[in-house]
Amino acid sequence: MAAKNDNAPNPAMNFRKGPPGQRMAMPVEKPKNMRRTLKRLISYIGRSRSIFFVLMATMTAITACSLISPSLQGFAIDAITITEGHLQIEFDKFLKMLTLLGVSYALTSVLTYSQVLLSAKLSQTTVYTMRNDLFSKMVRLPIKYTDTHQHGDIMSRMTNDVENISNTVSQSIGSLLSSGLTVTGTVIIMLIRSPILTLVSMTSIALTLIATNIMSKYMRKYFKRQQVILGRVNGHAEENITGYKTVAAFSKEDKACMEFRRLSDELRICGIKAATLGGCMGPIMNTIGNIGFLLIAAAGGALALRGAISVGTIQTFIIYAKQFSRPISEIANQFAQIQTAVAGAERVFEIMDENPEKDEGTAGNIDVKGAISFENITFSYKEGEPVLRDFNLEIKPGEKVALVGATGSGKTTVVNLLTRFYDTDGGSIKIDGVDINDIKKDELRKNIAIVLQDTVLFSDSIRSNILYGRLDAEESEVKRAAQVSNAHSFICRLPEGYDTVLTEGGGNLSQGERQLLSITRAVLADPKILILDEATSSVDTRTELHIQKAMIALMKNRTSIIIAHRLSTIQDADIIVVLDGGRIKEAGSHDELIEKRGSYYNLYKSQFAGNAT
Amino acid sequence: MIIKYLKKYWVFALLSPLFMIGEVTVDLMQPKLMSKIVDYGVLGGDMNVVAATGIQMLILVLLGTIAGSSSGAAASVACMSFSNDLRKDVFDKIMHLSFEQTDKFTTGSLVTRLSNDITAVQELVNVLIRMIFRSGVMFIGGIVMTLMINIKFAFILIIILPVQLLIIYTFLNRAAPLFSKVQEKLDKVNSVVQENVSGMRVIKAYVREDYEINRFDAANGDLMSTNLRVQKLLASLMPVMTFIMNAAVIAIIYTGGVNVRAGSMQVGDIMASVTYITMILMSMMMVGMVFQTVTRARASMKRLNEVLYSAPAVAGEDTPDKEEKKGSVVFENVSFSYPQGSGETTLHDINLRINPGETVAILGATGSGKSSLVNLIPRFYDVTEGNVYVDGKNVKDYDPLTLRKKLGVVLQKSELFAGTVSENIRWGKEDASFEEVEQAARFAQAEEFILKFNNKYDTMIEEKGASLSGGQKQRISIARAVIKKPEILILDDSTSALDLSTEARLQKSVRENLPDTTVIMIAQRVASVMRADKIIVLEDGTIAAEGTHDELMKTSGVYRDIYDSQLKKEVV
Repeated sequence: MAAKNDNAPNPAMNFRKGPPGQRMAMPVEKPKNMRRTLKRLISYIGRSRSIFFVLMATMTAITACSLISPSLQGFAIDAITITEGHLQIEFDKFLKMLTLLGVSYALTSVLTYSQVLLSAKLSQTTVYTMRNDLFSKMVRLPIKYTDTHQHGDIMSRMTNDVENISNTVSQSIGSLLSSGLTVTGTVIIMLIRSPILTLVSMTSIALTLIATNIMSKYMRKYFKRQQVILGRVNGHAEENITGYKTVAAFSKEDKACMEFRRLSDELRICGIKAATLGGCMGPIMNTIGNIGFLLIAAAGGALALRGAISVGTIQTFIIYAKQFSRPISEIANQFAQIQTAVAGAERVFEIMDENPEKDEGTAGNIDVKGAISFENITFSYKEGEPVLRDFNLEIKPGEKVALVGATGSGKTTVVNLLTRFYDTDGGSIKIDGVDINDIKKDELRKNIAIVLQDTVLFSDSIRSNILYGRLDAEESEVKRAAQVSNAHSFICRLPEGYDTVLTEGGGNLSQGERQLLSITRAVLADPKILILDEATSSVDTRTELHIQKAMIALMKNRTSIIIAHRLSTIQDADIIVVLDGGRIKEAGSHDELIEKRGSYYNLYKSQFAGNAT
Repeated sequence: MIIKYLKKYWVFALLSPLFMIGEVTVDLMQPKLMSKIVDYGVLGGDMNVVAATGIQMLILVLLGTIAGSSSGAAASVACMSFSNDLRKDVFDKIMHLSFEQTDKFTTGSLVTRLSNDITAVQELVNVLIRMIFRSGVMFIGGIVMTLMINIKFAFILIIILPVQLLIIYTFLNRAAPLFSKVQEKLDKVNSVVQENVSGMRVIKAYVREDYEINRFDAANGDLMSTNLRVQKLLASLMPVMTFIMNAAVIAIIYTGGVNVRAGSMQVGDIMASVTYITMILMSMMMVGMVFQTVTRARASMKRLNEVLYSAPAVAGEDTPDKEEKKGSVVFENVSFSYPQGSGETTLHDINLRINPGETVAILGATGSGKSSLVNLIPRFYDVTEGNVYVDGKNVKDYDPLTLRKKLGVVLQKSELFAGTVSENIRWGKEDASFEEVEQAARFAQAEEFILKFNNKYDTMIEEKGASLSGGQKQRISIARAVIKKPEILILDDSTSALDLSTEARLQKSVRENLPDTTVIMIAQRVASVMRADKIIVLEDGTIAAEGTHDELMKTSGVYRDIYDSQLKKEVV
């Protein structure tokens, strides 16, 4: 299944503050090393330092405006209120205050606009750089990495995790910053206006904090459980839907449905609990806010009676108290969100910290003739399980060598070592007498072309796919290559010929056609050394006949290594090497080996007659 | 759709807004009480008013909390039950779709529908229950309360409200297409990564790392700039809305101030009005958000309805079996083409009789129609013309369950499920004893490698058997089919990953242990099919030749071609 696309940036989030509790719906993942990863993440953001500082300044200004506004409102009200200490309506002052208020509001709007823009720019550039870095790193990793890690997992780091970081950068950092500033600013202003009322307001703030803390702890527990069950529901669905043919063949539809119902019911119960708890959050916060208001009103009223403060101050405090509870619960929420993002960042950095392919070779621009020698090669993927032992093989330029043997006998490993997808544990491989470790990897690989069993085609035009073999090839060369490989005729039959755009993985071509294209690519690359790794085994034998012609044309004048389990493919090879348990069991031409009546002979016979040896 | 599934939970769905009204009413009364405290308590210097009204208010607030929480609880019961029922129905439907329908939807899209789309609709229901009523009540209540305080505020509302509505509308109109564009660009980025991860060997072999990095950079940059465009639009909404809101606040205070000077209004009223007007405008913003959810959920709903309303596969009624001896298959003038195909017929005019206990092999190039032919037997697909009979009865006259009980099908792609090895084998026969499981594994030549696993038959199969080799997976799937002791065993190219001697042993053991079972197998290798009772060579959807190996060697050019291509040289 493709990586979940529903994690697409959700722009709605930017102006969305509720529904209550939803923001906490994400289960919190604890990062392993919060501080270090966070530091590193910040260094990424720091790359756009200028944006970051302008953003900071803008936000400070916004906060200042939003802090001043309630005070201005209070002054305005005061100006038209008659109290003992304030005997007449000052309409001029009232108008002045209102004008100031208008200016402050207008300023806030303009600043908010630039703030949102800036933080979008910041988060997008950060994510863009991060994705690019991650991708560049990924393609430079040794094959071993992609071989030993699940592709879905790599994909999800690239998309979901990075997306998560992006959301955090654009929202959390901004709101954390403004929340922090608001809180500090509010406290300062409150203290100036009335220390006693500030103390009273603090009670409600403390209540908010405690409530948020307790509630989110419970909620996280439930949301986590909900997430686990949801995973099970989706897993069950995925398994049964992708395997629908098997399910139908064994008439297991009803059983699958029953199990699904059970899981789904479980999810419902858990979901109700989690959502109910989440739903309580809003009203409870509301109550606390109201209690705070009452406290302020009561205390403020008492103070005002004594003339210690004005009515405007009370009004101001009421607004401040309201302003206060939001940033506080916001900080709590954001902390959870940041944790999740940091855990994601950790996974992203994990890839970035992998060691790239080593390339200590220096020899470039070598003129390869195509002699290959394997000397005393030993190799194992996992320690203690050697795949190749003491492997020796000498190949002359232009020779065709076939590797034969059961699965796991080490055929593909030979290829992996020659191309330096993996490095040997012992022994050396030489091309024209030069150790391949001394050749630049790029240079080495430029001289080798591989045609694999699973064709790799890109969602691009047929022409671009062939050009992959040699980017600077001319149109006429592309066509000639296609003619050599027998692909030209089927390409011309396609409605848009060479411009036909392939769907992902070349799904709109048959298996045989796909293989012809990858052979064409190899023809165009025109390497001295050619590797055919089971190039025809997923093609039926009649199509194979067609492809074989193409391959014979391709192998002409090149050193070729052929891996196949169909003996028909390899009978014409100069040397047939039979591998068994990582060693060469026998080697020679077809006729010699048949003569010898050894394991090749048995293999051949069983291929033919289907008799067990 | 929403109404249909929500009907069962209407009590909760209705309770929630009712409670909500309680909560909102409290919210609405609050500023009024507040102004009372300020005007009479604080300004009037009467602390008793502050205390009395304060207690009143506290009780109200408490009631409000209870109402709010109950509303939330009722909403979540309604909403979760809604999605639960919907999810179950959709899954049920998916499980009973015909193969054509599943092919048309593609399994990947079905999985997404079941997960993401249901979540989107669930979110919509949640928002509808909670927000629509809330904002509606707040909106109307706010207006009423403001006007009750002073009718002079009406003109402010008359100016502000349409402006706000217009802004929300234009904004949504412009944003919607951009959202889907972002999705498109993101898909492109994903697809480049996907291609690179799976094609890494080729990329490295052709030294195209830099080329790919550039390709990725292009897709990534495209995504970024589209994203920025969306953000730019979004960035303007919030400030504009708040500015208008604040302008309204200033207008209220000003009007209030003028009125206070004239003595026709009290200061507390101004404060209350400010709160109410804020409430009204907030409710409008909420409506804007609801609309966004609706836009997104509408596409999801459409996708779910497509599944729910697709016509069910017609199930035949069981009629009594005709033949005594079981295991015969007859194709009578069968033609078939895939419903989504290009209209080309895959099979034309096939006539074929397979007798009980026979082993029949089908050979042919890819695309010659081998799999299509056997897919017609379990009625995975329906014939376009002609008839298929199993045990003398048309497959359309069977209940598909009864029909498939007779068959053991091993598919080209062996799909294993999460569970132990023995659980996977037992899939074929749920009440099978452990001895039966072992026996089936032995028949399928799987025992040897299963016993090598650390936990033997209790070894967990994860990730659809990613830890197993292709041959091991195939043998476990064969064991799963064999344990059924089916009348007819269909092997759709399901021994391709086995080496020839294992395959030969497997064929022999199946033949010996299930002597009465009809075996129909598709194979690529001549060596695999040579000893079948009958070999059928398919070419371009027709039977090109039919007979034993020896007969075909003499009579069929096509067969000889295949034979030669695979085993070019003379018999040793």
